Amino acid sequence: MDSFAESTDDVLVAAAATGDEAAFEQLFERHRRQVARIASRFFAQREQIEEIIQDSFTKAYFALNTYHGTHAASFKAWLAQITVNCCYDHLRRARRRPEQGMDDFEEGGQEFAAWLRSHPADVETKLVSRDLASKLLSRLSAEDRLVLTLLDVEGFSVAEIAEVTNWSISKVKVRAHRARAYLRRVLQRYL
Amino acid sequence: MFKANSQRNEELDRIGKMVLRSAAAREEDIEAAASSPFLFTRVRAAIAAEQRQQEEAGGWLSMILVARRAVPAMALVAILAALLTVWSTGPAPTGTPPQGDEEALFGMPEGVEQTVLASRGLSRDDVFNIVVDRNYEVKGK
Repeated sequence: MDSFAESTDDVLVAAAATGDEAAFEQLFERHRRQVARIASRFFAQREQIEEIIQDSFTKAYFALNTYHGTHAASFKAWLAQITVNCCYDHLRRARRRPEQGMDDFEEGGQEFAAWLRSHPADVETKLVSRDLASKLLSRLSAEDRLVLTLLDVEGFSVAEIAEVTNWSISKVKVRAHRARAYLRRVLQRYL
Repeated sequence: MFKANSQRNEELDRIGKMVLRSAAAREEDIEAAASSPFLFTRVRAAIAAEQRQQEEAGGWLSMILVARRAVPAMALVAILAALLTVWSTGPAPTGTPPQGDEEALFGMPEGVEQTVLASRGLSRDDVFNIVVDRNYEVKGK
């Protein structure tokens, strides 16, 4: 693997595409943190993040032939696109399962509402329970969650989201508008 | 009122962003997940499993492709068989001399009726029609 330490990503991709496992491992070592970071925006549990890393690199391995080093930005951007799509798939799968923990949220929701009412001024200085926030966001559809996270947490532009998701710009705008309106309605219940 | 609504929406959006950020994993969890010791081994195993699946799917796919290629040949054979069936069961052309099966229909190989019918070159259907017509006439009387 050391022989590839100085190689560029494009060289590694070319080698990995011919079946060189060491080259692929080098790519994995270089980019696994980036993949973990993207996954962490959507999933809070360590196991979920590991699953996203595994799925993203597996998908990337089978798609290596479609990466020709001419991708708009780099291998990093290409892999980010695969990771976001993996997160989207996992969010959709999670939505298909029967809603988990919503009863917990109804209980916790009261706690959340009380907290919001008692700290209206310094709402940003307090950390909302991660678990509670995850459960609240599980009410959003996978598309809404994806768009809002990419816009508000990752700071992507509408055009960047359109590129990553292969959606049209107008679809992203409409989806973002609806997602925001829905999240407001959900939050309003607790304020 | 519009201003109040707008302010309310801004406040809700601000809280929404905070909730979205709060749902993200902690730094320690991100680092722990990224540096999980057997992660690359798991990736390799997932790749191997996927390759096996693709090979199996490829096996089925190749069988389907072979079957697809055989479809025109099978169709041709079926059409030929159908044509042969229709041709062999179709009425014998009139004017042809009676064949062995007609002899069976006529019953006795020798006889006046047999000789008369055979000499006129009647087919089995013609004989059948004559018999039916005759029976009809007898009943009519």
